[in-house]
Amino acid sequence: MIQNLYQPIISEIADIIDESPTIKTFVVVPEEEFKFKTGQFVELTLPGEGEAPFTPSSSPADTEKMDITIMKAGRVTGLLHDCKKGQKVGIRGPYGNGYPIEDFAGKEVYIVGGGVGLAPIRSLFLTLVDRIKDFKSVVCRYGARTPDDFIYKKTLFGPWQKIDGVNIKLTVDEANGEWKDNVGVVTAILKPDDVDINNAVAVVCGPPIMMKFTTLKLLEFGFGAESIYLSMEKNMSCGVGKCGHCMIGKYYVCKDGPVFTYDQLKDYPNIWD
Amino acid sequence: MQTVFIGELKSLLNAVAEDMDVYVPGKAETHYVYNRYDPAAKAPVEFNNIRTCTPIKEFLFPLRELAAVFPEPLEPKDIKPFAVFGLKDCDLRSIEILDKVFLEEEFKDPFYVARRQKMFIISSDCFEPGESCFCNVLAGRPFAQSGFDLNVSQVKDGFIIEVGSQKGKDFIEKHSELFTDVPDAALSERDKNRIETQTQLEHNNTEFKLDSPVQEVVGDSYDSDVYDEEAKTCVECQACTRVCPTCHCFYLYDTKQEDYFAKMKMWDSCMRLAYAEVAGGANPRKVLGDRLRHRLMHKFSYFLDRYGINMCVGCGRCVDAEAGGVDIRVVLKKLNEELKGKDKAKAKVAK
Repeated sequence: MIQNLYQPIISEIADIIDESPTIKTFVVVPEEEFKFKTGQFVELTLPGEGEAPFTPSSSPADTEKMDITIMKAGRVTGLLHDCKKGQKVGIRGPYGNGYPIEDFAGKEVYIVGGGVGLAPIRSLFLTLVDRIKDFKSVVCRYGARTPDDFIYKKTLFGPWQKIDGVNIKLTVDEANGEWKDNVGVVTAILKPDDVDINNAVAVVCGPPIMMKFTTLKLLEFGFGAESIYLSMEKNMSCGVGKCGHCMIGKYYVCKDGPVFTYDQLKDYPNIWD
Repeated sequence: MQTVFIGELKSLLNAVAEDMDVYVPGKAETHYVYNRYDPAAKAPVEFNNIRTCTPIKEFLFPLRELAAVFPEPLEPKDIKPFAVFGLKDCDLRSIEILDKVFLEEEFKDPFYVARRQKMFIISSDCFEPGESCFCNVLAGRPFAQSGFDLNVSQVKDGFIIEVGSQKGKDFIEKHSELFTDVPDAALSERDKNRIETQTQLEHNNTEFKLDSPVQEVVGDSYDSDVYDEEAKTCVECQACTRVCPTCHCFYLYDTKQEDYFAKMKMWDSCMRLAYAEVAGGANPRKVLGDRLRHRLMHKFSYFLDRYGINMCVGCGRCVDAEAGGVDIRVVLKKLNEELKGKDKAKAKVAK
């Protein structure tokens, strides 16, 4: 009997963390062994209601449970936000390629994120800092709409900034209250000398418009299209390159991605839409 | 290949029906559709001259099916063996295409696998091609060469049966009393019929003939205006993709039943506006022309790139079904003219 690839693994919501007014992290414990590589995604089913793709935000080294950070954006994510601790959900996957960590060895990893795009990046970040000596440095630039919209505040504002080999800068579109740091879109805090472009890779994840302008800025700095890694968000449904919803040109984002170099995608129209 | 002869179709189908359900084409106004075969019926069996109007994918990848049930997992139901009669070469090629997707090593679709294993395929030769048949433009033929268990060719005095698989061979051996040797005259009659049908097809499609291989014609036509122009009359009925025997997009959705939850799998269409839309509202193919282009490029460029074959068999079902009059043959021909124009311009520059 062939395994049914549409069958979700029943999982329990063990905890729910409020990250921002519109974003929550769900700590999910699958009933069966479930392993993933950083950057791969899962299909999360709310039984009877619907399914949506998410990239886990926890480190793959934690095989007991998995964090899934979800922004309320549509019908399914809205219903997920109403879920309570102890409720059962379904998980299918993991799907896709993930980040090619081995190719990053010895290099500076320049991570640019926006909004809930920090979720997959957190998983990558935790994976990188686990073996930080393998990389020349990890340089993060991250923007949120307002200071309240930052996610993972407890670690982002403190412990992560103190890790040796890590350099983090933050910005907000609109400041309020205590905020004394940068104000402006994330591309405004990117500087050509943030990393040694000849020995660096860039990883970009965030809303489409932010990814577009970040990519253009990186190209302007002199990054090669093949050194810019984009975590693409498309309508991944089956997860296994059959249903067709997530196609960008010849690629199935679910199977050939979701991580692509800009070089792979640059000749296709409307990739940012 | 082994060949045998039988005087009438009914005794062949009755023998098949001893072991399984058989589906045969029946006339519905001007088209053929599949019906369950009733061995007790008095009416003679219809020999369809061309493919049915409904796609063969229905037998392997139904319009809607249960994909998963939980909390208790679902096993693909015990699919009973079944036979389908009257598939044409285009239909067999469409199965070859679907096999690439659903029997793919890494991710086999268990429901497709179960049906595919249980399907007994009896194909047959075409004659008098339909107005929309254009398989010859895409290297198809009006008769099957592989991919069948049995193939039937109608001649004046009966039917020549060609054996195409072990399953077919076992069947012929089991029912050997039904068959005789093929008369020599029947074989030459069959060959003559085949040539005549092929000639007629070529004649019918003279105006749609392409000057370059279709993958070059479609190539990377990202800058072509043909799609926007041709999509002008499209009414987004999506019929082209529903009747297409190779279109395999599907939609997964969840439902609640009294004591279980189910995940359903249903045909979808890349011509639908919200098809590629994400929760945030982004949609890479908001414009109809972009969707038409994606559909054609998937068929003639992306699929070829991934699986080594084109994803269109030239059956012409989409041409028949189109409510808005978008004709794939015309789109291809216009792209062909555009390419010719470009080549000419290039040659001029080179001079």
